[in-house]
Amino acid sequence: MRAALLRIGALLISLVLASVVVFVVLRLLPGDAAGATLGVGTTTDQLDQLRSELGTDQPVVTQYVQWLGQVVRGDLGTSFVSRLAVADLITQKLPITVPLSLSAFVLAVLVSVPLGVIAAVHRRGPVGVAVSAVSQLGVAVPVFWVGVLLVLVLALQARWLPAGGFPRTGWDDPAAAVRSLVLPVVTVAIAMSAVMVRYVRSATLDVLDQDYLRTARSLGYGRWHALARHGLRNAAVPVVSILGIELATSLLGAVVIENVFALPGLGTLLLDSVTSRDLPVVQALVLGLTAVVLIMNALVDLGQRAIDPRLRAKEVAA
Amino acid sequence: MRTRRSRRAPLGAALAVTAALALAACGTGSGSGDDSAAPGSPDASAEIVIGSTNEPTGLVRNVGGSSGVSQTMTRNVYEGLTSVDVDGEVVPTLAESWDVSEDGLTYTFHLQPDVTFHDGTPLTADDVVWSISEAIGPESKSARKSDLLVIQQATAVDDATVQLDLSRPSQGLTFYLASVTIVRDGDTELTSDNGTGPYRFVEWVQGDHLTIEQYDGYWGEPAQNAGVTFRFFQDTTALNNALLTGDLDLVIAEDSPDQLVQFEDNPDFTITEGTSTTKQIWAFNDREAPFSDVRVRQALYKAIDREAILSAVWDGYGQVIGSMVPPTDPWFVDQADVHAYDPDAAEALLAEAGVTDLSISVDYIPDGTTEAILALLTKNLADVGVTLTPNPIDDATWYQKVYTDHDFQTTLMGHVNPRDVLWYANPDFYWGYDNPQVQEWVTAADQAPTAEEQVELLTQVNETIGEEAASAWLYLDPQIRVARSDVTGFPVDQVTESFYVADIVRES
Repeated sequence: MRAALLRIGALLISLVLASVVVFVVLRLLPGDAAGATLGVGTTTDQLDQLRSELGTDQPVVTQYVQWLGQVVRGDLGTSFVSRLAVADLITQKLPITVPLSLSAFVLAVLVSVPLGVIAAVHRRGPVGVAVSAVSQLGVAVPVFWVGVLLVLVLALQARWLPAGGFPRTGWDDPAAAVRSLVLPVVTVAIAMSAVMVRYVRSATLDVLDQDYLRTARSLGYGRWHALARHGLRNAAVPVVSILGIELATSLLGAVVIENVFALPGLGTLLLDSVTSRDLPVVQALVLGLTAVVLIMNALVDLGQRAIDPRLRAKEVAA
Repeated sequence: MRTRRSRRAPLGAALAVTAALALAACGTGSGSGDDSAAPGSPDASAEIVIGSTNEPTGLVRNVGGSSGVSQTMTRNVYEGLTSVDVDGEVVPTLAESWDVSEDGLTYTFHLQPDVTFHDGTPLTADDVVWSISEAIGPESKSARKSDLLVIQQATAVDDATVQLDLSRPSQGLTFYLASVTIVRDGDTELTSDNGTGPYRFVEWVQGDHLTIEQYDGYWGEPAQNAGVTFRFFQDTTALNNALLTGDLDLVIAEDSPDQLVQFEDNPDFTITEGTSTTKQIWAFNDREAPFSDVRVRQALYKAIDREAILSAVWDGYGQVIGSMVPPTDPWFVDQADVHAYDPDAAEALLAEAGVTDLSISVDYIPDGTTEAILALLTKNLADVGVTLTPNPIDDATWYQKVYTDHDFQTTLMGHVNPRDVLWYANPDFYWGYDNPQVQEWVTAADQAPTAEEQVELLTQVNETIGEEAASAWLYLDPQIRVARSDVTGFPVDQVTESFYVADIVRES
């Protein structure tokens, strides 16, 4: 109980620290929303007027306190540029980015865990070498390039799937929505699997070399049986920790890949907002993403404890 | 009516033909309709989907230049007393006609009868007075405010008549009024109810699309299609993919010839080349040495092989220019050869100005175009002993550093507005060109008693800034559109901010 409270406390402190960093860094960037919005043809007076309306002429500390006060009350504020409510803007994009990153994550786990284990067990065989080589390649190739390639082959040549975009009616037409997410999901999943296969493989290799596994084999268990019974649970501990990070990565991957597929999700919104220095939107997005990552880490910690009794024991001893 | 174009390739000729065809419009497409019942007959119930990279930033009125809103909604959803039509001419719109007093200080506009807003309420003079007053009011952050400040007062004479009192005569007034769209009295935001155009605004989903639909109660000629959706893209590859796979009917502007290869020689698509008003400029900070010296600016301008730059960037499309004026502005004269490429003359001028070992920084927003320009610029200038230091920055930084703080030596920038040669009469503008004679001419031109005199004075301005190389104008962007070949009726040239869609048809 005390441990859980400590964790939540640490989480909140991390969030506040993250928000301070984001706030300060964004304001260190040259240029501001007033200039980016008004553009060529407007006068300095008009710029100053807009700045005072937006409150960006106030000292940074004042701005931060005001913003934090709003956020605590659940109000994410209004976009500097479009004057739309930030909460609405973000809610509008969630039905694209959330399914995209979650599906990519699940797909990546389903592919990489079996592949990683096989690659470890057959580490010297042709299958193991092939999996390693392909995953190496997958790590080296940038994710957007994979996306471009898939579009070229499957959308433009074969015409099996849309090249980009999301149905205007959203999820009202589930088939169309799913079709438009297939290529982006596969793209992000490929990039993630490449990394995860390597983790699973090395975690499995670690346990394969352990004494207890050799003992199990000497007791007459087959290679796979021994691994399944004694190995996987142990191999899972480091893998679960990486899964947490990878779920966050899948969100970031979605952010990168949305641009390639012209998907109006959080990533597109983030890019737009940074370019136009739309600080309330950027702050809300970065804060949200940070929160997700921190919460994932907390869950991973708890998950590891559930899998590995030694971690629980350590805590009691301490 | 189009002026000279610099296309030399046979492709250019082919394009001119297709352009003419597209202009002729209606009923004569090459007809590649998918499951066409009667090819050639326009489908009035068609919804046209248009791809663009220029998204509105917001629906609040009078904020900046709002070019995304103008492109999608001016003339289509929102109308002014006047409009600039697709040829660049000022035509009456919500004002049926107007009278100008003899001293040129009073304009009386007679409103078009039977105009209703999209919620059905009639347009009155009060709505016009409000819309104009708001654009020039103390709260207005419109980029056009300074142009409109000549208006001292707007008054409703009666329900159907509006009077504008000016502080001085203004030849440009009816042109500038085209950008002041009229909404309902008291409205500060664009909504589905407060336009008067052939289309009603339906929705804007930020980052994705904006939809407009035909308005049944329109006072003028109804639109030829049922509605239009503008889809917005940040990535031009994604934009062209959408066109290739049939998700779009038309792309408003292609930003490089590389993208065109996939549409050329493809009977399913039509490529049109028209003229734009987008001038690519290498602007100097004229208020600072050595750019304050006319000879240095002229030398730098002569050192640049603009033909080579244009062909590297646009591969035969587009046009070399020698001043800020595009051929569609009334005061255009061709000055491309005034400071033609001449590295020897450039070196001589630099020597005469006593400038040696010149090293210049260039602030630019990196993209395919600016990178290509910069590469050639660097080589050209190295040939005359000048070193360029590139300094990549982003949009927002450009507005701060260059536009507001004037903290730069030179910068690469595209300027899209028509008739923006007037900025050379503002010494506080970012490039800081300060020539009292030019300022006097510009002031006199707007107050000139006749349009001919206005044109004459602005032509002098045009020639003077060209001769003095106030900036290095590199070339005029071509306006290249790609459409499905069963889609016709769209404007080929882009000489105003709006993209008029009411004549676009798709064959059934």
